[in-house]
Amino acid sequence: MKLLELDNLQVSIGPVQAVRDVSLSLAPGECRALVGESGCGKSVTAMSLLNLMPPTAQTNAARWDFAGRDMRQLSEREWRRIRGNEIAMIFQNPMTALDPTQTIGSQIAEPLRIHKGLSKREARMRAIALLERLAIANPAQRAAQYPFEFSGGMLQRAMIAMAVVCEPQLLIADEPTTALDVTVQAEVLSILRELRESSGTAMLFITHDLGVVAEIADSVSVMYAGQTVETGSLQDVFSREAHPYTQALKRAVPNMENPHRLEAIAGTPPDLRHPPKGCGFAARCCERMAICDQLPPNFPCESTAAHQARCWLWHPEHPARWRESEQ
Amino acid sequence: MLKFIAKRLLSGAITIWFIATATFFAMHAVPGDPLTQEKAMSPAVRAQLEARYGLDKPLIEQYQLFLGNMLQGDFGISFTQENRKVNDIISKHFPISAILGLAAVLIALVGGVAAGTVAAYYRNRWPDRLVMIGVIAAISVPGFVIAGLAQLIIVAMNNAAGKTLLPVAGWGSVNHIWVPALVLGLGTMAYLSRIMRASMLEVLNADFNTAAKAKGVHGLRLFWHHQLRNAVLPVVTELGPTIAGVTTGGFVVELIFAIPGLGRYFVQAVQQLDYTVIMGTTVFYGAFLVLVVVLVDISYGLIDPRIRLHGGGGR
Amino acid sequence: MAMSVFRFARRTWASADLEQIAPVPLPKMATPAVVLSSLVVVALLLFVSIGPLVWGQDPSQQWLSQISAGPSGPHSVRLIRDNGPWQPPVSEPPQSLVVHDANTEFVRLQWPQIEGVRRYRIYRASAHKAGLGLAIAETDKAYYQDQLQLSYQIYRYTIADADSGLLLLAREVRPEAAISLFEAQLQGLVPVGKSGRQAKWLEMPGHPLGTDALGRDILARLMAGGRTSLFVGVVAPLLYISFGCIFGAIAGLAGGWVDQVAMRFVDFVVALPFLLFMILFRVAFGIGPGENGIMPLIVAMLMLSWPGSARLIRGQVLALRGQAFVEAAKLAGVSTSRVILRHMLPNVLPMILVAFSFAIPQAIFTEAFLSFIGMGVSPPTTSWGALCNDGIKTLLSHPRQLLLPALFISVSVLAFNLLGDALRDATDRRAGVAKA
Ligand SMILES: Nc1ncnc2c1ncn2[C@@H]1O[C@H](COP(=O)(O)OP(=O)(O)OP(=O)(O)O)[C@@H](O)[C@H]1O
Ligand code: SF4
Ligand SMILES: [Mg+2]
Repeated sequence: MKLLELDNLQVSIGPVQAVRDVSLSLAPGECRALVGESGCGKSVTAMSLLNLMPPTAQTNAARWDFAGRDMRQLSEREWRRIRGNEIAMIFQNPMTALDPTQTIGSQIAEPLRIHKGLSKREARMRAIALLERLAIANPAQRAAQYPFEFSGGMLQRAMIAMAVVCEPQLLIADEPTTALDVTVQAEVLSILRELRESSGTAMLFITHDLGVVAEIADSVSVMYAGQTVETGSLQDVFSREAHPYTQALKRAVPNMENPHRLEAIAGTPPDLRHPPKGCGFAARCCERMAICDQLPPNFPCESTAAHQARCWLWHPEHPARWRESEQ
Repeated sequence: MLKFIAKRLLSGAITIWFIATATFFAMHAVPGDPLTQEKAMSPAVRAQLEARYGLDKPLIEQYQLFLGNMLQGDFGISFTQENRKVNDIISKHFPISAILGLAAVLIALVGGVAAGTVAAYYRNRWPDRLVMIGVIAAISVPGFVIAGLAQLIIVAMNNAAGKTLLPVAGWGSVNHIWVPALVLGLGTMAYLSRIMRASMLEVLNADFNTAAKAKGVHGLRLFWHHQLRNAVLPVVTELGPTIAGVTTGGFVVELIFAIPGLGRYFVQAVQQLDYTVIMGTTVFYGAFLVLVVVLVDISYGLIDPRIRLHGGGGR
Repeated sequence: MAMSVFRFARRTWASADLEQIAPVPLPKMATPAVVLSSLVVVALLLFVSIGPLVWGQDPSQQWLSQISAGPSGPHSVRLIRDNGPWQPPVSEPPQSLVVHDANTEFVRLQWPQIEGVRRYRIYRASAHKAGLGLAIAETDKAYYQDQLQLSYQIYRYTIADADSGLLLLAREVRPEAAISLFEAQLQGLVPVGKSGRQAKWLEMPGHPLGTDALGRDILARLMAGGRTSLFVGVVAPLLYISFGCIFGAIAGLAGGWVDQVAMRFVDFVVALPFLLFMILFRVAFGIGPGENGIMPLIVAMLMLSWPGSARLIRGQVLALRGQAFVEAAKLAGVSTSRVILRHMLPNVLPMILVAFSFAIPQAIFTEAFLSFIGMGVSPPTTSWGALCNDGIKTLLSHPRQLLLPALFISVSVLAFNLLGDALRDATDRRAGVAKA
């Protein structure tokens, strides 16, 4: 059974249709990467999964199940019990995501106090033990310190500790390494990988760094302009990329085959206040056809198919390139 | 932290010295001998004063004498009220001003924080608009007018009730404090609620607020542990300077509500050109304000760990 | 079932198709608040400059017959010549309380002698108030002339036995508006000397906002007071901001120990409790006879308020000094101060403007505060603050005399504050655009 099934999530914030159609699924223990360029709605998707969008935002989904529950029906009370307990989140910038006026230890212990009803002392002990597990020296002293006394890498570890302290079933990591420098990035990634292996937490890993994706993810969803445009296993998306956007994305990343020829994707993403009528990528797509401007490529794909692309090129009636490549 | 406190105290002491010096020379810039201007002074007082201040000696010696007396906490004898020491005037009337000021600052702080928080929570909706209109009104209307209006309202209220609900003026009971303190604190409250609104808005949009919510923190715990503590920091820094405003604003409120505080005596002394009282109260008030600012600085360090642990380097 | 959708030829993608993203337009400067507050400022300036020309009354002229009177239009009043001592005609003793004459100069009452009463006591009350009112006199005669601060309203007179307190007679009286010959001559309404044939009635100017406790026209006083308040409010900031700018620029350009010393000094001046030292300096400068006290006020403000702009300018100079183009210019042989001044002015001018527009309401407030506690301008010069000081004395009986000048202070402070807010937003946006 899937842990999370999300079908056609839509979020609009005032006039901005930040998320137009996001469909995702996660099996227990699976790590799915969500990639896409800046402003395509990744963070909005993540926040919506915790029901933390501002009250001005409107959220809608055809299907939204988590651990057998229909999340669309939950009350705010039930949501509070889920946040930090069953679904937890790691934020992009640990420098701003930790409260500057609270000690690291009390911030890590806080979810335990709220969700598990532990006493102050017990929660503190657990927090210290967790810090130790995350390879922080002198955890007891460190726990009594404030965020400004920590380095960036340690802060992100504290942030991770804060998220995993209640052993959630789903961990959402919103660009957990973007704000860090390269060596610290590697360190944080290995910690996350370790955690995943030891505790079997499912993870939604948001990033725009394809290199990171290759290191950690089992499966990948590619987002563009508020939609998931391609979904598949790591191999599917990386070596049999189907959507022109994914292809362009890959050409924009340096690789072994052509280290010198990088192609930036020309143009800018559409204005989400007035999303285009047809395919969202049409304005920048070099495979564009006439139909792409007129109809969105929302044809039914078999939901069992592990590899899906939202593109007219993969319509059953199109001269089948897809099938060729699969042979 | 100790170093930080010592540094602040030292600079405070230098500031007080500067205030005393400025006061001395300002008063001696008055053309002529301060004593000859006072007609109705008995020869006894005059002789005493001349001896005490060495008014016949050169300015530098007078200045030394003045500083020495100030250091010993001796502010001299009133020019107009025979045999009344300035120290006595201060020790008798300052506590009244202090109680009034303290009540005003408390009202301003609590009211400002509450109003600012409400405005930020209901940003651009009617509670916010209401608070902002109140803020603009309180900032644009002079304190003495608010005091006068408050008296009119009390009178109308008492008339309507047919008995004395609140005294119109005077001092002595707890009921005498409320209205003057509110009037005195109103401007500060408006100012603080504007700051509080801005900083609370910042906190509400801050990552750590979202992160706390994502941990499942909610309700009062969220407000108390994460939002208030961060949002109140800028308000606390502003508190020091605003206390100065409350003290001097106290002059007018004390005059209008007939409260026997030090402010009223200061104004009276100024009108009667009672030099010793003027100098004494100015230096005393100045020293008091400097001390308050230093204390507020130190207490800011207690709330904000960044300053507590790093000796204020961050600011 | 299958619909053929690929009838169309593929088109190559051309970059010219890209939609241009329209730049975000700057928010408009002229918000309703700004327009309104500028209009208010202009109206206030016109009020104090053109106003006195249009409204020709002298702000210090006292109408003794109209103390604390309410608003009135131009009206005619009786000219009273014979307001000396009075005796009733002896011919017929009246049957009850009679009024021989009632105007705002005197009310003449007569009543029948009553058996057994040795002394009469006369009470006067406003007709709309309950009770006997004021005991204005005691007399053993059966008549009385009331000349005690009469105003244009209905009175109720009560005659009582002074010994027993027994109430004897009562009646309501409406005095008509009048002016004594003496006052009319004093005000220049009637030529002195030629007392022969004068009109019985006089045209009186109106007081649209009433008169104050000394019978002076409030409208004229508001105009005169506004002149002082706005003058101080504009001139004092102009002076101290200019001084601060020069001080800060010199400190910043000189650098080194000069800068250090100068900025230490600034720190000290900032630490002086502002209003306390305003009062102190104001006393120290003193006011000679015949002076109006405006200059000492402005000088005191100048001495205490300049550090803000000094810090601002010094910071700008230092920031510019560190920048590459200054270094480049220096290499090219242009002097640093020249370059800095040339580049600084466009940067700093808007900031100074903002500081200035916030300083005006501050200065108006300070002046009002000082005048209110009697430490501001000295009579006969007046200001809105001084008017408030006059008004607070009659607050409970005539709140108008406080509220009107207070309204002017509040409106002008509000208008200048809103204007400052708008200017600051505009410069912030400009800075934001320049950075982006
Ligand atoms: N609170 C908000 N109010 C209005 N618009 C918002 C809000 N949050 C996000 N948006 C809009 O939603 C769109 C998606 O934003 P989102 O933060 O999800 O992008 P992202 O994919 O996370 O980008 P990045 O990689 O830069 O983090 C953007 O166009 C943004 O302008
Ligand atoms: S639908 Fe058309 S425009 Fe969109 S990605 Fe596919 S080919 Fe390109
Ligand atoms: Mg994001």
